[in-house]
Amino acid sequence: MTPIFNFDGIYTPVVTPFHEDGAFNWDALADVIEYLIEKGVHGLISGGSTGENYAQTIEERIEIAKFTKERINGRIPLVVGTGAMMTADSIALAKGAKDIGAEALLLASPAYSVPTDRENALNALAIDKAADLPIMLYNYPHRTGTMMGEEFLDRVGRSRNFCGIKESSGDINRVHLLARDYPHIQMGCGMDDQALEFFAWGSPFWVCGGSNFLPEEHVALYNACVIEGDFVKGRKIMSAMLPLMRVLEQGGKFIQTIKHGVAMNGFETGGMRPPLKGLNKDDKRALEQVVRVLKATIAEITSEGAK
Amino acid sequence: MSLLTQDEYRAIAAGLTLPTSAFIDGGYRPAISGKTFTSVNPATGETLAEIAACGQEDVDFAVQKAREAFDDGRWSKMHPSERKDVLIRFCKLLTRNERELAVMESLDSGKTIYDCETVDVPETIHCLKWHAEAIDKIYDQVSPASDDHIAMVVREPIGVVGLVLPWNFPLLMLAWKIGPALAAGCSVVVKPAAETTLTALRVAELASEAGLPKGVLNIVPGGGAEVGEPIGRHMDIDMVSFTGSTVTGKRFLTYSAESNAKEVVLEMGGKNPAVVMDDAENLDRVAQHIVNGAFWNMGENCSASSRLIVHKDVKDQLLERVALHAKEWNVGDPLDPETRLGALVSQAHFDKVASYVSQAKDVVIGGNAKDGFVDATVVNVPGNDDTLAREEIFGPVLSVIEVTGFDEAIQIANDTEYGLCASIFTANTKRAIRGARALRAGTVTVNSFGEGDISTPFGGYKQSGFGGRDNSLHAHDQYTQLKTIWIDLADDADEAVD
Repeated sequence: MTPIFNFDGIYTPVVTPFHEDGAFNWDALADVIEYLIEKGVHGLISGGSTGENYAQTIEERIEIAKFTKERINGRIPLVVGTGAMMTADSIALAKGAKDIGAEALLLASPAYSVPTDRENALNALAIDKAADLPIMLYNYPHRTGTMMGEEFLDRVGRSRNFCGIKESSGDINRVHLLARDYPHIQMGCGMDDQALEFFAWGSPFWVCGGSNFLPEEHVALYNACVIEGDFVKGRKIMSAMLPLMRVLEQGGKFIQTIKHGVAMNGFETGGMRPPLKGLNKDDKRALEQVVRVLKATIAEITSEGAK
Repeated sequence: MSLLTQDEYRAIAAGLTLPTSAFIDGGYRPAISGKTFTSVNPATGETLAEIAACGQEDVDFAVQKAREAFDDGRWSKMHPSERKDVLIRFCKLLTRNERELAVMESLDSGKTIYDCETVDVPETIHCLKWHAEAIDKIYDQVSPASDDHIAMVVREPIGVVGLVLPWNFPLLMLAWKIGPALAAGCSVVVKPAAETTLTALRVAELASEAGLPKGVLNIVPGGGAEVGEPIGRHMDIDMVSFTGSTVTGKRFLTYSAESNAKEVVLEMGGKNPAVVMDDAENLDRVAQHIVNGAFWNMGENCSASSRLIVHKDVKDQLLERVALHAKEWNVGDPLDPETRLGALVSQAHFDKVASYVSQAKDVVIGGNAKDGFVDATVVNVPGNDDTLAREEIFGPVLSVIEVTGFDEAIQIANDTEYGLCASIFTANTKRAIRGARALRAGTVTVNSFGEGDISTPFGGYKQSGFGGRDNSLHAHDQYTQLKTIWIDLADDADEAVD
């Protein structure tokens, strides 16, 4: 496949560090970006939900994206999230992304209004028209209330920019549908506890919040499954990661957990913007325990291959 | 529908949203490779759209979806009257979008808006409607078997059909193929000509809106080598119907032989004679038919009567009248409703036609070829062996051959590798019928130029055609398989019959 843009590898939706007063901590963000590139992730996403986009103004989001693009300095691609309640805001974000030279857009369904497939497709095509950039769709019905259904996917095909989808529905049948019926749209894992299944069905990329603080481990799974095609090794790594996935996907505190993970690596994150609150002591301890075991186990598995 | 002004057509053209993706499994999809090709307006040279350049993998995908649709019966086993309802709804949607389709067709092909509005689009809808309405009126047969048997001769849809279209009538040829194929219950994979893809894509979208199930009508744009040949060689396509050049048509026979022996129906080239005898009545009327036959659609027409075989006694009179009528065939902006000759479909095709025009030694009328446009041109040729009398030019060029009698005229008319259409102009009934029988062509018209209509079969003899006919109920047959169901009714020997 040679689509308009290849979303290959680990794409990290970067967290947004704050100062105690809620202002952006640019130094910490710069440090996180540098760390992620150094650890080998393949692309960054600015303005995703993991970056707390719902708690930022449009101007703030474009400011963060611009800063991120400058810090990356051409080393890896930047994808800019356009998810918003209002089409006009999404269009403003798309235009902002184009202006700063972003490589692609992440395009989610608008939350709360529950558009039909047709409405959602026309919304997506309007956002696409504003920027004319490659697009990674973001199907996350649990958050938006709307599934990007077949009619949606058929209609957005009017533009070839729609060349990737971050599939976060959790429904394995969607993986089968996308793999078989939409081969022109690169399917990416957006449901961390199903990463192995996605890779088995040929996903070339994984958008994983956890890679904010465990980039090497996420890259290790990608390498095993996609680069080496070694699914025995992949299963071992995935098995070691599953306790983390349970904490992340099934604990109800996804973003807080990611952000604490970043703090565990020594970066200042400054906690959450409202309405969310940080992790409590027990949750933090549970995460630290899981991460310790996971790191040791995966290090053992990957070094086996090197022997 | 009344025609608009040139400015109004230009305004409509500027506001069109042109489809650019393939249409597969009920939705628009870019080529899996992500590749595109440029669609150009031949009248202006401007880029119209970057269209999905599909390849083998897109063909495979479309065929897979067409096969799924066929096998699960969502269309093939739908009640015939329901299939009819869907196609009638489809025709209504086409009618509602008639103007958009006409302008899109003119922009893409260089055809005049006049022809698009008055011929191509209405005929397209008429054709689809005709086939739709026939769906629940075609009966199977019961054979005259003995009392102990009953034998049914039934027709079943042939399966997945590949339809490969020419660029000269993008909408109408689409209708000629999908009309009977969909009516029969087949699933189809269509390759429009690369030069003229837009309207087929839009038509597929409208069909989908009308309720045609997913996977039944798939449009896969791209080149001959990338899409046409994979269709021809596909192991899961049951039949191919092709309209286009004889050279390409023959390739489909090879593809079939080298793959799964799929059925092949070919409608190919023509070098069609118009024979005018010395007793032809009303030479002015004859001249009108000759001009229409030669120049309609810029002569980009396999049924164009491109050879005028005329008796020496009426030649000069006839050519005078031809010249008068040819003047009405003005060349210009296809979006001007006054224009009768638009742009040739592409630069490459223009170059080819222009090179033929430059070979003409004795030009009677026209002879100009410039910037993609060619004047209505009439040339005297020394005999039927001349290149301009033998080769299909596919442009507005009429070659005139003088004869001295009926037998010579028929002999020259038949002295061609083609046999699509022919016409004979004579007031003598016996001569007309003898001529019509003697002319070796699929359609012979007497005292007129024409192709018949939707109710009459269209197709060629010799190297103009193979394996079937478009139009009429005969077109339905070629998209079906014939099956015999033989049932033994014999009673047990000891059973009494009162």
